[in-house]
Amino acid sequence: MDVSQYLEIFIDETNEHLQTLSDCIMELEKEPENMDVINEIFRAAHSLKGMAGTMGFKRMQHLTHDMENVFQEVRSDKIKVNSAMIDLLFKCLDAIEGYLDNVKESSEEGTEDNELIIKELNDFIAAANGEKPQDDSAKKAEPQMPVAGNAAGRKKYLEFEMDDADRAKLKAEEENGQRIYGMTVYIQKECLLKAARAFLVFKAVEEYGQIIVYNPTSQEIEDEHFECDFSFFIVSEEPFEKVYEAARSVSEIEDVVGEEIKYEVLAAKQEKAEAEAIAVAIMPENNPVSAEKETPAAVAPPKQPSASAGNKKQTVSKPVTNRTVRVDIEKLDALMNQVSELIIAKNSLVSISSTESGGFQNQTFHEQIEGLERITTSLHESVMKVRMVPIESVVNKFPRMIRDLARKLDKKMELYMTGEDTELDRTVVDQIGDPLQHLLRNSADHGLEDNATRLEKGKPEVGSIFLKAFQEGNNVIIEVGDDGNGIDVDAVREKAIERGVITEEQAESMSQKEIINLLFLPSFSMAKKITDISGRGVGLDVVKSNIEALGGDVEVKTDKGEGTTFTVRLPLTLAIIQALMVEIGDEKYAIAIGSISNIEDIPVKDIKYVEAQEVIHLRGKVIPLIRLSQVLDTEPKEDEPTSLTVVIVQKGDSQAGLVVDELMGQQEIVIKPLGKFINNNKIISGATILGDGEVALILDVNTLM
Amino acid sequence: MANNGLEVIEKVVKQYIVVMVGSEQYGIDIRYIDNIVRMQKITRVPKAQYYFKGIISLRGEIIPIMSIRRKMDLNDDTFNNATRIIILKLEEKGSLGIIVDEVKEVVNLSDDEIEKASNKGKFINGIGKHENDLISLLEINAIVEEAY
Repeated sequence: MDVSQYLEIFIDETNEHLQTLSDCIMELEKEPENMDVINEIFRAAHSLKGMAGTMGFKRMQHLTHDMENVFQEVRSDKIKVNSAMIDLLFKCLDAIEGYLDNVKESSEEGTEDNELIIKELNDFIAAANGEKPQDDSAKKAEPQMPVAGNAAGRKKYLEFEMDDADRAKLKAEEENGQRIYGMTVYIQKECLLKAARAFLVFKAVEEYGQIIVYNPTSQEIEDEHFECDFSFFIVSEEPFEKVYEAARSVSEIEDVVGEEIKYEVLAAKQEKAEAEAIAVAIMPENNPVSAEKETPAAVAPPKQPSASAGNKKQTVSKPVTNRTVRVDIEKLDALMNQVSELIIAKNSLVSISSTESGGFQNQTFHEQIEGLERITTSLHESVMKVRMVPIESVVNKFPRMIRDLARKLDKKMELYMTGEDTELDRTVVDQIGDPLQHLLRNSADHGLEDNATRLEKGKPEVGSIFLKAFQEGNNVIIEVGDDGNGIDVDAVREKAIERGVITEEQAESMSQKEIINLLFLPSFSMAKKITDISGRGVGLDVVKSNIEALGGDVEVKTDKGEGTTFTVRLPLTLAIIQALMVEIGDEKYAIAIGSISNIEDIPVKDIKYVEAQEVIHLRGKVIPLIRLSQVLDTEPKEDEPTSLTVVIVQKGDSQAGLVVDELMGQQEIVIKPLGKFINNNKIISGATILGDGEVALILDVNTLM
Repeated sequence: MANNGLEVIEKVVKQYIVVMVGSEQYGIDIRYIDNIVRMQKITRVPKAQYYFKGIISLRGEIIPIMSIRRKMDLNDDTFNNATRIIILKLEEKGSLGIIVDEVKEVVNLSDDEIEKASNKGKFINGIGKHENDLISLLEINAIVEEAY
């Protein structure tokens, strides 16, 4: 059977099950007696095994099978949950994930047998229960029985449809005292001349009898129009074993399954299969696989009752996922690009309609343009929403990671997460995992003190690490922090001087914040000893550059003795934003609306000076002024105006006033990257094409401040 | 004669676009060229490298424009009707435009018409001889590398 079309579903569902397992095992560690959790684990493990089997991933199936055995013992109360077992189970999950990664890459599970883990699993069962291992081996032996067939060898001959003529023929032969054998032959995947192999099989078995029905048809087999397997019914006087051996003896045959079948059984089976085919037609496509798999159960040795329980659960939960459509992210990217083009086209229509000389002073024309604007804006929003996914998929693996770290570092710690349902663009979510993971490791390793020190300081023994995600304007903020000792600013300063990063004089004049920011410089590690968790100095600078590559930024706040918090700020959208267009000199720039808090007209005489820096005093706040014409080196205006147009921008708690020459209005703009050639200290985050075809640059407010 | 026929096959002929920068003729390997466009408004990018004039938009794409004169420490560009922007397509780094004073013609140069450069300067990888004219062949990678 060609299972490649189910591969994607398999990967997605395996991921889901792995996540469920990981969550549940974490829970189990806290409440070892919770029967619901154990049952849930059992179900997930069982589904995993079933799916791996269906897809023909034998090694994965083997591992999950043995893992399931352990849960079986836990469920029947023969083994008590302990931390060694939890560790082992997590090792299993990692191994399964390894298989899954291989499957993702090459559609093969790879060759790692993970015998060590399997042995440990079995030892575990053996240790807990002397008689159990035999039971276990009996179970394992089952797939090797030739008649029952193994994981890859499903009895497909029970599934294909026969026409009435063939049935009549079979019936007549049986009445003549012949026996009917159904067989399915699996040819090795690497086999080059499948048709030739099939022919050899037919030739071999026809020494004993006559083949009545082929599936695929004999013509199709001859033309090699089949995957790696074919089925047929043969009538013969000889015993089944002879026919079976004949088929088996052909080389490059992976497996043969078959059995003797009475016509009545067959007829009943066919009817049942047809009925089921109708029944499963409304289910998602992966389900028929498992449903059909159960079909031969009546003939094959009866399965454990848990098997059907696991299956039932699958069918019950399916209709929910049925309401969603899986879409390739590339298709969404293409859609997004087209929407971008549409918005540029719309912008140019808007600019034509607003020019006096355009000659379009018609009322309806203007109304239509406005209508078009509304539609494109909501179209853009819809596309954006489609691309948004909750960060859950990334942060879900963190509790497990913190648990492992806690054991490795021998520190007690707990991770508190909020806002896992915060949504971000898919591209951002895919790439935010590593930086966040790094920050969490940092907190666990450097941030938190060891338990004894914590108790000495009068802090709770168990350290807390938190991860908070929430939306703020056009940004999503993710805070990662701990209640540890905080960053030792003096130590950082000394280290920086020692490493020659800054001179002593420079250090004198640097603020605490500037010192802390030194941590983000390449190869600046504060760890006293290098562990495999952190401290190689390839840390924070990578975090920073990864986050900046996504258009975001990262900040640190630290209170000595109280803890450290890293604030990661990410843009909600990547491609299209609402922006305020401004003129500086005779150049046009865009400022993202999301970062603007208000716009003020400030008389020049109101400008004050603090530490030789221009500031304004606005509603009780002192806001530094940034003269964009100086920052951007534009041609200065000849006469100093009596009042300045100031755009007040916000980043977290801090504000700044950007002095611009002219306001041009709000516009929806499409962000285009500047490419890799131009490097300009990141003041410009991109460019956009205006309605008249002109190019305007987008100011990155976060870097300006 | 048979020998002669073989030679023809072995001859590697490359096409170059001949452009003027200042008083010198330069040849650009045609494989790198995506497009040649007329001079248009270039949007200055503040704080960019000196030899980058800015960016233009071409068919919805943003393309950085480099002044080859500034890059080679020649007098600054003066734009006129003959000025063109040559859009180079580079595998990894995307597109890049360079400003030239004039685009003259396309020439075929075979290996034996090209003299490998010895110390002609880092941006030139050879001199092509074509109908009594000398053409300096630009090493595109060197121009790009430095720019990066």
